[in-house]
Amino acid sequence: MMCRRVRKLIPLAAGDDLRPGDGARFLAHIERCPACRKELEAFGADLAGIRAAARDEGVADWSEGEWRAVVARVAAEAKRSAPGRGASPSPERRLSWAVAATAGALFGLVIMGVLIKGTPLRRPVSSGPTIAAGPSRPEQDRVTITMVSPESGLQVVWILDKNFDWKGDHE
Amino acid sequence: MRMNETEKELIAMVLSGCVEAFEPLVTPYRGPLLALASRLTGDREEALDVVQEALLRAYRSLRTFDATRPFRNWLFQIAANEARDRGRRRGRERVAFKDVVDRAAAPDGPEAGHDRRELRANIMSSLAALSPREREVFVLRDLEELDVRETSRVLGCSSLSVRVHLSAARRKLREVLRRDLPHPEDRR
Repeated sequence: MMCRRVRKLIPLAAGDDLRPGDGARFLAHIERCPACRKELEAFGADLAGIRAAARDEGVADWSEGEWRAVVARVAAEAKRSAPGRGASPSPERRLSWAVAATAGALFGLVIMGVLIKGTPLRRPVSSGPTIAAGPSRPEQDRVTITMVSPESGLQVVWILDKNFDWKGDHE
Repeated sequence: MRMNETEKELIAMVLSGCVEAFEPLVTPYRGPLLALASRLTGDREEALDVVQEALLRAYRSLRTFDATRPFRNWLFQIAANEARDRGRRRGRERVAFKDVVDRAAAPDGPEAGHDRRELRANIMSSLAALSPREREVFVLRDLEELDVRETSRVLGCSSLSVRVHLSAARRKLREVLRRDLPHPEDRR
């Protein structure tokens, strides 16, 4: 490890925060380099001074009134909701959700009504087997099958009744 | 620092509906929480709000607390998040430390020596030189004495990121303190 690299690591090493992988090589360099060792010691002393000063400085603690106010607020919150379940929604929020849910249900009902009304009902015309059905079409009682020769263009038409009995043909 | 049995019992009591158990659960940390919030926000009044909101959040989400972690660090995490959110929302981090930065940049006058001594004793003021993330890392690692791994958990970042910001923070703070308060050895 070179001095330049060691100097970069000194702020971390001063607080014993080097990665395990860097520690051994860093220490090996410090052992043999007096300049880096001196820099590490100086940085360590400064960091210790900063930490000590911060501890001495402290921060003004709560007044009892401030602390009681916070505890009271938590207690008030507790009355509204159980811990871990999040805050319960406010009445206004609950009302808006109820209105939205009702509007959604109504809208759904309207859409369903339109769809049902718009679909034509298919009623059976007769109970027996039929080929075609519907009030506008006459009951089909004949079937024709047309065969066309691609070479000569000759057409043969077979005529069958509704029971597929052969009734004749023509060309 | 592991969670002790008393804390476990108090948490169980709160979760079972005994609200009164919450106060003894968090009271041991009221000082450290206020110190943390004060150092992160730079303003005591804001710090009081941060801790209050953090305690409310802690109460609401107590069911999600991972009992394998120290309870104190979990509270720190919530408070640090709250302080960061507030800083972002209000953009007050720069304002809170602005006067400190101005003081540090002011030319020396007759009172300069006195000011320097004041600044020396006031580490919190020196935190003005740090970015918000550097400040968070420095406060948690060096002042609250969490290790790198716990610091990374509290801040929701990698250990590598913590080390990078910690290194920068220590270097900057050292420079600020050396500039304003020359080291005795340097003055020889």
